Amino acid sequence: MMQRISLLTKYFFRTTLRSLSGVFYLLLTLAYWYLLFNPQQQTPDIAYYQLLIGGFGAGLAFLVTLSVAARANDAQHYPLLVRLKSRGEFVTAVLLSSLLITLLFQLVLMLLGLINGPSLTLGALLEIPPIWLAPMLLMAVLALHASDFITIGWSRIYVFGLLAIFLFGQGLQNESLAKVSTSLSRYALNQSWVAMSSNLENFANTLNQTDGNIISRLFGFVFWPFQALAEGITNGYFTANQSLAPAILLLYATVLFLLAVDLFANKDLAFSE
Amino acid sequence: MIEIHNVSKNFYGLKALDGVSLRIGRGEVVGLLGPNGAGKTTLFKLIAGLLHPDSGKIRPTNGRWPTIGYKPDRLLFPDHLRVTDYLALVAGLSSLPAEAQEQAIFEALVQVDLVSQANKRIGNCSKGMRQRLGFAQAMLGDPPLLLLDEPSNGLDPNGQAEMQALVKKLHTAGKTILLSSHQLEEVTAVCTQLVILNNGQVHYQNSIVEALTISPHTLIQADRDLSDIAAIIQAQHPDIQVQGAQIQLRGQAMALRRDILAILLQAQYDVLHVEQKHVTLAEIYARAVQ
Repeated sequence: MMQRISLLTKYFFRTTLRSLSGVFYLLLTLAYWYLLFNPQQQTPDIAYYQLLIGGFGAGLAFLVTLSVAARANDAQHYPLLVRLKSRGEFVTAVLLSSLLITLLFQLVLMLLGLINGPSLTLGALLEIPPIWLAPMLLMAVLALHASDFITIGWSRIYVFGLLAIFLFGQGLQNESLAKVSTSLSRYALNQSWVAMSSNLENFANTLNQTDGNIISRLFGFVFWPFQALAEGITNGYFTANQSLAPAILLLYATVLFLLAVDLFANKDLAFSE
Repeated sequence: MIEIHNVSKNFYGLKALDGVSLRIGRGEVVGLLGPNGAGKTTLFKLIAGLLHPDSGKIRPTNGRWPTIGYKPDRLLFPDHLRVTDYLALVAGLSSLPAEAQEQAIFEALVQVDLVSQANKRIGNCSKGMRQRLGFAQAMLGDPPLLLLDEPSNGLDPNGQAEMQALVKKLHTAGKTILLSSHQLEEVTAVCTQLVILNNGQVHYQNSIVEALTISPHTLIQADRDLSDIAAIIQAQHPDIQVQGAQIQLRGQAMALRRDILAILLQAQYDVLHVEQKHVTLAEIYARAVQ
């Protein structure tokens, strides 16, 4: 299995790097470096370095995975797929090659960023792998779900719809939800659904009396690891809770990857011809 | 080797396959015939595991899925790779031991006559070469089941003959082969079983030998129209048909050949020729897809 995955990974890695998208990603890396790590201005801040290159890696992982997945979604790969013991090997190779390509360009940016940039201490260097790899992996897996390669029917809508709901919920104020609940309570009363109306009214009252934005915090919990990582980097140290953030991101990525593998294993392959 | 039981497959409400049942025995060469859109490629993809049936089952008869070599009908390859690099990739995925890969690739290239093009980029290969490459990759790793979707499409007559010889050789080596074709001669030449699909359904299924030996008939060609004595001739036996200047005797009526000839001579007709015929594959096909 490992031999087949490594062969396919090598194949996708080379194919993508030698294509026009490979050149595009190189240009993108150079442009990012020039704009945000201008060698004429010294950037001594290690937090800036870690945050911006980590963010670049996550964004690039999304783009690269989209293009590798599009490349994999081609009818020329039918004879290769038939040879595999499981379709999961193919998805794994797509993900691994995307990560390797992203890491390559991130390494280029990392080295370029050191020109007239911060001096990396061993401690800062050791912090980098979990900080950069976890969000990168998560974004790559999300990109798999965004691609035609993995999607079955409405699966893409479900995954990103759920994400959108969490994002929307994160910005939701207690008062706004209380207002909605009150309106619903009035509607229920007009329909003579007295018990439901009373429950909704009680819920609205509870929301109005609760300190802090409980709804926002509830939905925001999903995005807490990103916030914790950013805070840890800018503070220059990680609290015990914050240091769990990369592990939670990896957990998200694992669950979404298993879902992607399952979707791909059960879909009718209609690769582009 | 493979049992297909009542398999149906729809695409956006259109029935690509409708209750198809087939049994592909070990060592058989099954020829799949049918007009375009009959469901041949869908059946190949279902057996290859690229599609899932909406209903019905496809299962190996001995409980274990055999390794499959698949040559799709469309000749799509990674054009930037060289022929040998592509075959090396397929060989690697086929779990061939590293030390055996080079030899296996060379043998496959020899078998499809592509040795001289081994270092050519696939993008620069002709349609015929791509067809051969498709065949070569399907054979790599010695899979017991080969799915060949239109293997000789795009080949010149010599190439087609070579492909047929190769399929026969693989059959002799004990491979199970399912191949589709629009060339009836090819199917007659290489297949042991015949399946005709039309509108997603199996319309005919038989061994080639039986298909071609059933319904023998005798044709008698007279020198002019026989309508004057058609009634007398047809009265001899219900299996006698007269059409224009031709008489067709089927089944037991074939034994009356001499009597019919006597009637013709007596009525001053000249007999141009008498021919013992079997039903052709073209006739079987025409009837099945009608």
